[in-house]
Amino acid sequence: MLVLENVDAHYGKSHVLHGVSIEVRSGEVVGLLGRNGVGKTTTLKTIMGMARRTGGRITFEGRDLHGVPPHGLAGLGIAWVPEERRIFRLLTVLENLRTGLDRAGMTPERREALLEKVYTYFPILKERRNQAGGTLSGGEQQMLAIARAMMLEPKIILLDEPTEGLMPRMVAQIQEIVHALHRDGVAILLVEQNVPLTLDAAGRVYIMEKGAVRHHASSAELRADQRVIHEYLGV
Amino acid sequence: MDQILVQTLHGLVNGMVLAMVASGLTLIFGIMDIVNFAHGDLLMLGAFVGASVLGVTGNYWLALLGAALVIAALGAVLQVTTLRPLIGRDPLTTILATFGISLVIQKYALWQWGPSVRRISEPVPGDFTLFHLQYPWYRIATAVLAGLILGGLWLFLKYGKYGIWIRATTQDRLMAQAMGIPVPLVYTAVFAIGSAMAAASGVLFGPFAGVTQTMGFDFTLRAFIVVVVGGMGNLGGSILASIFVSLLESYAAIVVSPAQAVIVSFVVLVLTMLFRPTGLFVPTPK
Repeated sequence: MLVLENVDAHYGKSHVLHGVSIEVRSGEVVGLLGRNGVGKTTTLKTIMGMARRTGGRITFEGRDLHGVPPHGLAGLGIAWVPEERRIFRLLTVLENLRTGLDRAGMTPERREALLEKVYTYFPILKERRNQAGGTLSGGEQQMLAIARAMMLEPKIILLDEPTEGLMPRMVAQIQEIVHALHRDGVAILLVEQNVPLTLDAAGRVYIMEKGAVRHHASSAELRADQRVIHEYLGV
Repeated sequence: MDQILVQTLHGLVNGMVLAMVASGLTLIFGIMDIVNFAHGDLLMLGAFVGASVLGVTGNYWLALLGAALVIAALGAVLQVTTLRPLIGRDPLTTILATFGISLVIQKYALWQWGPSVRRISEPVPGDFTLFHLQYPWYRIATAVLAGLILGGLWLFLKYGKYGIWIRATTQDRLMAQAMGIPVPLVYTAVFAIGSAMAAASGVLFGPFAGVTQTMGFDFTLRAFIVVVVGGMGNLGGSILASIFVSLLESYAAIVVSPAQAVIVSFVVLVLTMLFRPTGLFVPTPK
């Protein structure tokens, strides 16, 4: 469904991605592991058209994303949950959700149903719906960022380090949500540093180092043979 | 005592008109980081368009609406043709571009309407007696109308779908794009709305002092002062600052001549820059 072929990317003059090839099939959860600064986040940003792609091809459902404006990706079914969460801090929780909900073709019933569904996953967001996004705790902001992405009813979510800096209880909740999204048939490209969580959630895993994919295996293989993980991630 | 009440009323009326001018300027700055030096000239052009529509139709309200629509369309065209290509460039280039637009509009107005003052007659006739002074009803009507327009803008930004798009884009352009909000379109729309607000203020202000092709600069300057005092990009702050500065000027005019009273706003500007550069009415600096 989402295919990156030999993608190169630059930030200014520095060459940050070197021929990255990744594929995420429909409904599949794929992990992207690697140390800090190896280009995981940049890979997601390149898909979103926010980092300068200087080579290779990115296609989504067979369609070349080159020339699709950044605001056109949501309409194709690609949602982004950035590492920094990027909550609209001065907008209320509900208004944050509305940024994804107020799109063409939404009937009032569908909006209600979608909101209710997200509130079932994240009851705390319903409680805080009239509170400014910037006043939420880190974990709540992460939930809001995921909930906001779900408002787009995406086919794939690019999930960037969702558990970073969260308490174990919150991490468990995020893990739960990833499973729930997977059950709903949403594909996820999961960037993480948390190896156990990634191996649990994802079917396949790509491991990056120095701006390139160095290893690609199923989670089962990696669980059985931890040497690769040790080599690239030092854990 | 009488004088203080009269000056309070005067300050409030001037403050409401200024608030309308400043709201457009601050909205544009907040979302695009563009200081629009042509803002006052769009106001002036709006006043001329209003005067022309009034001359043809004889209906003031039609003139107000017509000016707002024409200048909104012009604003959209200006944004697409001159400012959109400059997005992401050095801020200086956009300042120079809007300054250029300002000059072009001024010269166009001079060529089209000449250097003389055009009058816009008051749509609400009559005066009422305030102590020993005849105070025109129109000034009261202007303040009320400006309040209604600003209230409408606030409701639109607070509850409307497009209002949420505008606020989201103001806070985080990239994230807004990722949520499917067509950011380039939002920019153009905001520039059009800001231009329409300027044009409407021009038509509202027209009956006070007449319309000339040089009136724009003064408004740009005054609006810029209150936008800085209120906190750049902060709509509520700009409105409060407009009223605050206008009231101060009004009170100062009791002691000194009105021409000298203008100095007060510059003093407020300098003090704000020195002691609270994020704006007087920003609760917690980000």
